[in-house]
Amino acid sequence: MADLWLAKLQSAQKTCLIQDDRRKIHFTFADGTEMAEEYDVKTADLLVRKWRKKGTLGGVGRWEMEVGEQSLPVNLEAEGLMESNANPIFVRKDTKSHFQWRIRNLPYPINNYKVTAKPEERHIIISTVNKKYYKKFNIPDLDRCHLGIDQSSIEFAHANNTLIVSYKKPQEVLEMERKFLQEMKKMKASKDGDVDCTPS
Amino acid sequence: MKVFHFHHFINNLKFIYHQPTAEKVQEIREVTRIERIGAHSHIRGLGLDDALEARQVSQGMVGQIKARKAAGVILEIIKEGKIAGRGILIAGQPGTGKTAIAMGMAQALGTDTPFTSIAGSEIFSLEMSKTEALTQAFRKSIGVRIKEETEIIEGEIVEVQIDRPATGTGAKVGKLTLKTTEMETIYQLGQKMIESLTKEKAQAGDIVTIDKATGKITKLGRSFTRARDYDAMGAQTKFVQCPEGELQKRKEVVHTVTLHEIDVINSRTQGFLALFSGDTGEIKSEVREQINSKVAEWREEGKAEIVPGVLFIDEVHMLDIECFSFLNRALESDMAPILIMATNRGITRIRGTQYTSPHGIPIDLLDRLVIISTSPYEEKEIKQILRIRCEEEDVEMTDDALTVLTRIGMDTSLRYAIQLITAASLVCRKRKGSEVDMDDIKRVYSLFLDEFRSTQFLKEYQQEFMFNEMVPDEMETEAS
Repeated sequence: MADLWLAKLQSAQKTCLIQDDRRKIHFTFADGTEMAEEYDVKTADLLVRKWRKKGTLGGVGRWEMEVGEQSLPVNLEAEGLMESNANPIFVRKDTKSHFQWRIRNLPYPINNYKVTAKPEERHIIISTVNKKYYKKFNIPDLDRCHLGIDQSSIEFAHANNTLIVSYKKPQEVLEMERKFLQEMKKMKASKDGDVDCTPS
Repeated sequence: MKVFHFHHFINNLKFIYHQPTAEKVQEIREVTRIERIGAHSHIRGLGLDDALEARQVSQGMVGQIKARKAAGVILEIIKEGKIAGRGILIAGQPGTGKTAIAMGMAQALGTDTPFTSIAGSEIFSLEMSKTEALTQAFRKSIGVRIKEETEIIEGEIVEVQIDRPATGTGAKVGKLTLKTTEMETIYQLGQKMIESLTKEKAQAGDIVTIDKATGKITKLGRSFTRARDYDAMGAQTKFVQCPEGELQKRKEVVHTVTLHEIDVINSRTQGFLALFSGDTGEIKSEVREQINSKVAEWREEGKAEIVPGVLFIDEVHMLDIECFSFLNRALESDMAPILIMATNRGITRIRGTQYTSPHGIPIDLLDRLVIISTSPYEEKEIKQILRIRCEEEDVEMTDDALTVLTRIGMDTSLRYAIQLITAASLVCRKRKGSEVDMDDIKRVYSLFLDEFRSTQFLKEYQQEFMFNEMVPDEMETEAS
């Protein structure tokens, strides 16, 4: 099943660029959806993965983060409203062996949190006893490989106002990532600055 | 400390001195920001009953029974939505309610049917060509009802906090705390959001949804947990359950967008490319074609529905011959809206030609139109309209004053009489009266000239004005 996803990546139009010690890869799929990934050049860790879909009425949408943090500042006037930065901030940041989510600005002690897997709905729910925080999220990587979600793979810890939820990557996912890294190494990357600019 | 006292004293003094005016200004500002009283803001519909018979006085409409009935028939055609590209011309003397009828139609159609209102002279701009402006107006009048997935925030308001800056001027800062049964989040608010929250009168305990893309706030009702302070609210208050789960949700909503909006979404050049494109606000015809075929595709798949709306062109005699021939062609398209035009001209020159034609519109276009004509108001009707306007502007007036004003309306024009209402009410307020009486009317009648008296005056003192050496019939040739 993981092969399907790899094949989709293979068929997408790709651009690769190395900039600021990051290998940035941009995929454009057949339906116009875009995906951008950023990998650390030295450790090959996934730092950012974001998606941009076409709107129903056309036009480009905005980037939606799957992994990593939105780095662009948000314009409050254009947005109308935005979450205050004192709120819990949910960010996914994977390690080699685990999918990992970090929720900052959560001061409550560890026994306040419940992390439950809902295999039939394919998502994980973080809830709080004091009803201050609630988050429902899925693991797109598992969806792509058509793997189920398993409660026993979940661990969580709390330190420095941050709740860290980890999910052990299944063997299939590790295998897929290894294959993808091999492919990625073969990709020709242009260095920052030498943009192909042939005057026409 | 002393300095402070002194300052305080000065402030106090100022405060006392300025209090009445300052308060008034403040009050007026609050009102104007929400809704201003326009020339036709008393119109709420066409004032027809179910059998399309016009009531004498209803929904702000008075008289013009025949024209209103005709407009009602047109309205039914629009509501059925099957027939595209019909043209209607409302013709009549100045001040006989042509624009009012068009506004009434817009009101009766409701917010879901696109209604675009432009003045004939609006299309002459250096920014874009005449036909482009007309095409945009046409496309603004065609709606597409489509399902779209949007991100909404749905929750119960815990707290709204809006702070004015200490200096009194500048941007307000706002914070909104929302909760569901499971969570709570604080949002920072932009200016627009603060305004719409104030307008909606949203307060703690309300359940609201906020459309993230458009910023539209909808009040769903009061939270059940607030049911005990029932006395403090009206009987029609709806109570709803506090939402569950996450505050932000993705929801499929059906809404109406106009073709023009889709054009704009798809034609915006992005990033550095915008630098080279020289954005004139014109939309490429390829983009339009692409969208037309896309919309046709959606329609076939059952994803979208076309809502033909209304394009109203006021002062249509201001269009020139090119525009008229464009209209001829545009009305034939199956994507054309219902076109309503209004004019107060008789037989006159068609702009851009030497030919004269009825209403200043070429015969071939007139042939494609149905014409509704309005007739001058009778005394009774003028009185009624003035009474409605008094109500709309919150002016109390004695019967005598109203009779005098009606007389003025008959002798001069309805518009002049309406203008006097506002002026007279101000005069009345200055003399601390509660009702506008005859003297107030007389006073403003002597203060402000109407068109006829002003002409009289000019004729008398023609020699003393500038450029008077111009021979009258020379002026005439220039004007025609």
